[in-house]
Amino acid sequence: MSDPRDEPASVPYLRGVPEPTSGPLWAGFGVTLMFAALVTHALVAMVGFVCAVAGFVAWARACFPEERLESLPTGADQPLPPPALQPKGRESRVMLPAAMHPYRAGLRGGLAGGVSMAVVAVGWGLLKHGSVWLPINLLSGVFVPSVGQASLETLSTFQPGLFALACGIHLVACLFVGLLYTVTLPMMPRRPLIMGGVLGPVLWTGLLYASIGIVNPALERFISWPWFFGSQVAFGLTCGRTVSRARRIDTMTGLPLDERMGVERGGVR
Amino acid sequence: MSTLHAPSHTAAGTSLLERLHGWAITVDHKRLGIMYVVAALLFFVVGGLEAAAMRLQLIKPMNDFLTPQGFNQMFTMHGTTMVFLVGMPMLAGFGNFLVPLMIGARDMAFPRLNAFGFWLFLLGGLLLYFSWIGGDGLYGAGGAPDVGWFAYSPLTSKTFSRGNSTDYWILGIMVSGFGSLSAAINFVTTILCMRCPGMTLMRMPLMVWMMLVVGFLVLVALPVLTAAQVMLLLDRSLGAHFFDPQQAGSALLWQHLFWFFGHPEVYILILPGFGFVSEIVPVFSRKVIFGYTLMVAATVGIGFISLGVWAHHMFVVGLPPWLNALFAASTFLISVPTGIKIFNWIATMWGGRIRFDTPMLYCTGFLGMFVIGGLTGIMLAAVPFTTQLSDSYFVVGHFHYVLFGGLVFAILGAVTYWFPKATGRMMDEGLGRWSFWLILLGFNLVFLPMHFSGMLGMPRRIYTYQPDRGWEMWNLVTTAGVPVQMLGVAVFVWNMIRSSLKGPVAGDDPWDAWTLEWATSSPPPEHNFDRIPTCTSARPLWDRKHPDDPDCHYE
Repeated sequence: MSDPRDEPASVPYLRGVPEPTSGPLWAGFGVTLMFAALVTHALVAMVGFVCAVAGFVAWARACFPEERLESLPTGADQPLPPPALQPKGRESRVMLPAAMHPYRAGLRGGLAGGVSMAVVAVGWGLLKHGSVWLPINLLSGVFVPSVGQASLETLSTFQPGLFALACGIHLVACLFVGLLYTVTLPMMPRRPLIMGGVLGPVLWTGLLYASIGIVNPALERFISWPWFFGSQVAFGLTCGRTVSRARRIDTMTGLPLDERMGVERGGVR
Repeated sequence: MSTLHAPSHTAAGTSLLERLHGWAITVDHKRLGIMYVVAALLFFVVGGLEAAAMRLQLIKPMNDFLTPQGFNQMFTMHGTTMVFLVGMPMLAGFGNFLVPLMIGARDMAFPRLNAFGFWLFLLGGLLLYFSWIGGDGLYGAGGAPDVGWFAYSPLTSKTFSRGNSTDYWILGIMVSGFGSLSAAINFVTTILCMRCPGMTLMRMPLMVWMMLVVGFLVLVALPVLTAAQVMLLLDRSLGAHFFDPQQAGSALLWQHLFWFFGHPEVYILILPGFGFVSEIVPVFSRKVIFGYTLMVAATVGIGFISLGVWAHHMFVVGLPPWLNALFAASTFLISVPTGIKIFNWIATMWGGRIRFDTPMLYCTGFLGMFVIGGLTGIMLAAVPFTTQLSDSYFVVGHFHYVLFGGLVFAILGAVTYWFPKATGRMMDEGLGRWSFWLILLGFNLVFLPMHFSGMLGMPRRIYTYQPDRGWEMWNLVTTAGVPVQMLGVAVFVWNMIRSSLKGPVAGDDPWDAWTLEWATSSPPPEHNFDRIPTCTSARPLWDRKHPDDPDCHYE
């Protein structure tokens, strides 16, 4: 830390503050009148010109040849010394959050949760419609509008393109939600499974319930909300458990960037 | 070099005339700041009355409270007043009052230019309002401007806008704009050159960072508007054809030029609001601001990105799809740094010992309302969505949630927070709470239904509507909210007047805050600090109060 006492006291207006002047008022009034003359009368411009000149002259006289200042009380030109600070002792502060789940736990949780959710969703397809491919094809409807017009028979068969797309959507979404769990679970540190396994799925299901007609009309045609909620709970419990069981790491909040990055630097600290 | 004189006592004279003279010739940044804020509040009342007149007209279908032309004048003057004569001067006022105090300086870098800027703003505003009297020109064709606050071409051509009203709009805003430019030059120079010993850039209060970025934004964006207005003036007065499509000009050129100013203007308005919240929330949460460095980075990021989003106001004019996609993407992008700020404010409150005094109430209201406005903004960044709802009341609802729910709530919180510093007296807490809840209720009654009437297809700027459109109830609720809101504002203004006369004495640091403005007396002396302070961390006053556990050990 640099000691402020080492810095030169080159502070403007150290010994005085600017003297009041009517120059800016008259200059502003004159300039405004000159603009107003464009929509009124030439005489207004003339009056404005006179006012502006008078104002700028008064302004200039306040600055040249030397700036006119009002003097300050004795001693005002000496900067106030910094307080006598005590050296850093035992760590007395906790920077919150002091520790957090590592992001890799979120990625692992997202993958594990994605498997659980897929099991439930595929189970629904198998039990209710006799096909494991239906939920997969429906998921791809987020990006492929033609899925909305496809028949149930078509959607119940294996479609390589839709399968690849659905896998991609599922993977990316699960990883992102896993990362989200990493940063949100510490908000309920004592009950991570309620946060991850109940609260999260309820909010997400509610949001999709309201918007699924726009986001994925094909899914809206076939969706079973109890099963859907069940798949979200499966994801939330698995992901939440994986994340919350991971060992927390120190956030090192408050430390300089180089220390947080583990970079060594020379020189005097 | 300078010449020292004994202090003149004009400013501290005893008679009313002497005191008024003292205010008129002052170059003191604090007095100019207060004059900016008071003038802006007066224009706020005028702009509010114009809005109330519009709402009365729309309370029921086929109403005839206003004529069609009168309605056009009302929405033009309302928008122009609120943006140019309320928002910008209010922020210039707070910046003027606070920046030198926060960085431990004695005044702004150019005090006389500062006073010149204030008078230009005020006189420019009065010139604009003089149009009610002088706008007829030779044609007898209307008083105040009636072309909307963004004055699209070719509506502004002589063919469609007879008389002088549009010229008054151009000239009033231009003169006022010169004032804003001089304020911006002052902010940038003062912040970069006049910080007290020890105050590095990364120790500046976030409010000061916001004003620095705002200063740069004004310097980049506002000259473009001024240039466009000069071109329009040439079109109207000297027969030029910059914006005349029939003479090889381009009406779209005006839109590009206007919005190149217009969208950064939104951030010019809201960034100081962010600054207020960033100062108030930590003090009332009793915690350091969360992620100071990231807040600074987000502010600078917003400043840069805001210069590249202007064409999202033009999604329905027929730009190429790739250009629409580009501006949609940049608009989505700006939500990232804005979101960072929201998260950081919440993280600052999280786990803090929150005191819900009136300033904090306003900041909490700001958070809720601004998030709604931000989310509808993200919706409008999607081109297909805007194609459906462009120029509808949905858009009106959206930007009022940003500029009223965001900016005005932040300003009211800021007024309550720094009132003791400016006047030496506390505002009444009970009246403050009443005003907050009334304004919050009235605000939501007025602007929430606009989203629904907009989605039902109600276009903005229509002076009346047929009774069979399904808009009646929403308009009735919207208008019903106006008196509630006005009552809230009236309570707030009454609280200010009453407290400035009879409020309890505040003391130097009534909120137990940490920035330098609280290190001097309330109100501060003309020279701000008896001795220039030295800064040891981003919370210099904390360090002075707690030398056993100073912040500088953790920077």
